[in-house]
Amino acid sequence: MLLSVIDLAQRLGAEYAETRLHRTKQLGCLLRNGVPEPALIGDAYGIGIRVIHSGALAFSATNDLSKENVKNMVEKAVKRARASSPLLRHRVLLSEEKSIKADWKSEEKKSVDNVDFDDLFGLLKDIDNLIKDGKNDVSFPNRLLASSILLEEKIYINSNGTMMKSRVPRVGFSSYITTFYKGKITTITIPSGYSQLGGSGGWEAIERLEIFDYVEKEAENLSLAVKSEQKPPKEIVDVILGPQVSGIIAHESAGHPGEADRILGREAAQAGESYLKPNDLGIKIGSKEAHVSDDPTIPHSNGFYLYDDEGVPARKRKLIDAGIIREFLHNRATAYEFKISSNGSSRATSYDREPIVRMANTFVEPGDYSLDELFEDVKLGVYIKSFMEWNIDDKRLNQRYVGLEAYLIERGEMKGTVKKPVLEITTPRLWSSVDARGKEVEFLGATCGKGDPIQGIPVWTGGPNMRLRAIRLGER
Amino acid sequence: MEIIELADLALKEALKLGATDVSSICVKTNGNLIRFSNNSITVSKNIKNLELFLYLAKDKKRIMGSSSNPNIEEIKKFTSNLIKACEALSPSPDYTPLPRIETQYLSHGFYDQKLAGDEIDLVEFVEGAIDASLRAGANRVAGSLMTSEENLAILTSGNATGQDKRTKILLNVRAFSGDASGHGLSCSSNLKNFNPYEAGKEAGEYAKASINPNPWEEGVYDLITLPTVTADIIQHVGSFASAFAVDSGLSFLADKINQKVSVNDFTLRDYGVIEGGFDGRGFDDEGFPTRENVIIEEGVLKTYLHNSTTAKKFGTSSTGNAGIIDPHPWNLVVDPGSMSIDDMIREVKKGVMVTNNWYTRFQNLRTGEYSTIPRDAAFLIENGKIKHPVVGLRISDSLPRQLANITAISKERRWIKWWEVSVPTLAPSMLIKSVVITKALG
Repeated sequence: MLLSVIDLAQRLGAEYAETRLHRTKQLGCLLRNGVPEPALIGDAYGIGIRVIHSGALAFSATNDLSKENVKNMVEKAVKRARASSPLLRHRVLLSEEKSIKADWKSEEKKSVDNVDFDDLFGLLKDIDNLIKDGKNDVSFPNRLLASSILLEEKIYINSNGTMMKSRVPRVGFSSYITTFYKGKITTITIPSGYSQLGGSGGWEAIERLEIFDYVEKEAENLSLAVKSEQKPPKEIVDVILGPQVSGIIAHESAGHPGEADRILGREAAQAGESYLKPNDLGIKIGSKEAHVSDDPTIPHSNGFYLYDDEGVPARKRKLIDAGIIREFLHNRATAYEFKISSNGSSRATSYDREPIVRMANTFVEPGDYSLDELFEDVKLGVYIKSFMEWNIDDKRLNQRYVGLEAYLIERGEMKGTVKKPVLEITTPRLWSSVDARGKEVEFLGATCGKGDPIQGIPVWTGGPNMRLRAIRLGER
Repeated sequence: MEIIELADLALKEALKLGATDVSSICVKTNGNLIRFSNNSITVSKNIKNLELFLYLAKDKKRIMGSSSNPNIEEIKKFTSNLIKACEALSPSPDYTPLPRIETQYLSHGFYDQKLAGDEIDLVEFVEGAIDASLRAGANRVAGSLMTSEENLAILTSGNATGQDKRTKILLNVRAFSGDASGHGLSCSSNLKNFNPYEAGKEAGEYAKASINPNPWEEGVYDLITLPTVTADIIQHVGSFASAFAVDSGLSFLADKINQKVSVNDFTLRDYGVIEGGFDGRGFDDEGFPTRENVIIEEGVLKTYLHNSTTAKKFGTSSTGNAGIIDPHPWNLVVDPGSMSIDDMIREVKKGVMVTNNWYTRFQNLRTGEYSTIPRDAAFLIENGKIKHPVVGLRISDSLPRQLANITAISKERRWIKWWEVSVPTLAPSMLIKSVVITKALG
């Protein structure tokens, strides 16, 4: 069927065609205060078709895989591309890439095909048992825990001769918890910042993620954090950001502005643009200690892939290297505009979504400091270990992260907790303030939204503890 | 097979296999979309899907499933697998039988034959919007134009039988003039009320008006939210009114029934079906008839939004807002006030007017503390007059405080739905006093 799609598109005059059979199967469980909500089984399976005709790009998708309907969808795609010509002021051209034949998958020791709701609910019940009695005189009267399996299987071919088959299973955990302490009610998430523990692989990923230890430790720490009434210092201080915070910053403030489709304006209407312009490669945006990369090839990662959804091999990309903007994220269309090869950043979440430029696993690179060494010469500072509220403008210049678990630092030592310190800062100021990074990188799962219709794609955000000098924090 | 026949087959199959409760919904959609940027079409899309959604319960065990493009054989297999998976679950103390339905559903006019199918010329509308933006002062324009047709059928074990068809057309335009930008939109269920030229012109005019922003200081300002911003705030209030969110401890509206949560002039309603609205329907996912619900009446919280499960927990009846797990609003409507925008501006000594926003995120769902970012044209107001454009603002406040601080509501309202506002909302402009506006450390 896929070959006939390419053949028909070419016979109809398309200079390029590709097609992707894409299945996303999902199992989802919610446990609320120990009680199961209805379990969820999802199965989305269909075909996505992209054609370029006379420089115009069109995308068709359907889950009706009958021969007649698929033929009709190809015809419609070509017709739509043709119809765009009166308003086509810029032809879509693709970078030259080697065609490949590949059958790739993520490692999967305990196949997700054998995971059932007993496993998923069992996991949640065990976690709930760890936290249901509260911690440190803080009760957790409401606990909403979620676990999921997401299996993606794809078969892809294009008119350049590429043929590819892939399988990536993922497991995930997230939670919302309401804490209660002396009449004060606070909602938190574990992991913080509405993120997830997640990764690719089979059910063994649950062990790898050390979910039980993680949740218990976070519950312990956050129960102390929500008691805090101490406001952050008003004077200029040094700030150490925990891995959860440096990770979200890497994603928002280095990854997104480095997406070449934003830089070229293609996402302007919804997801936005970038403070970076096409000729900004090589400009200085931060200190020598600012290093951010994106790497889809990290085994077991949430954003794992070996070839992107245009059949381009994945590789690590250095986005910011010693404070210098080094590389943008590209698909074949943006790569053509920049007269380079694609670095394999094109992804689609489902058969009915077009592949667009996406991050995979974006992280601040590790440095060579221990946490003690990062603290050592901080006279007055705040350690923002995790966060809840965050946002950033659509050019990725003006951002804010509000601490959840945070501590005062005095003369190199961690003192009591600090309540909701606000880091609200521009991108150049942030990266220019980095003077040291910890040795260990930690990752969290997240779902990144972009495109129209919107696509929520699995990614990791990550980083080490990272120190910023001379920052004025706000308060909530 | 027709979608009602597919839904019926799944219902019967599930009942045959021992399910005590079944809600079977079959949906057929056909959507067309053009995305454009830099005054040029970037991609044209057509997406055509058929999906079956099944909720079933057996022995108080509950499960939901979705299946792509089901045919007779696949429905039998899918239903059988779902039953097997259901049987392996634990019974839930929250199990509530699906409601028995005796009434007819409200009909609506959210359908325009001209928007159905694939024949409508979207390129012409895109061209019109771009031209209007450029004429109004923009030098480049981006956006998306979407039409869709949806046919839906529901059958439940509670005797519900409903069919619904609707169309919509949504245009979102973002115009740029140098670094300045403006936003415009038009959304409707019919072609008659769709105005791409006005949306393009609005975006272009805002872009032009926000050239050369001046400095401003962070602090406390009176805030005028134009309808797009109001709609974002209101959709969050609507979602916080979900009884599931309340019962999960995740809503600032918890324990506030019959309490004052806003000013006397503020009334918020939700309609499954409303003239001029779109995206709603006459029945919810349990087959319960949708209706008008007054969520907040003259500042007093009157009801949460319920499905059968939450209603039983709260000792009340469903409001027709199921979501099997989480009830949700359909079409939110803020009652009009009496002021014009110009009147509001004249009321303000020190304030800002914000035309749109994005990236609303909460620090604490129980207190409603949040921030959001004005992203296109925003203006400083001093002594009753717009002084100059401003950029780099962040609204850093809380929903309860803002609801309590509404001092004026405009008489003019418009329907809003776009990337940031997923719940269609008939929104006025609002004047909210004493809002914290912050800026980034540079």
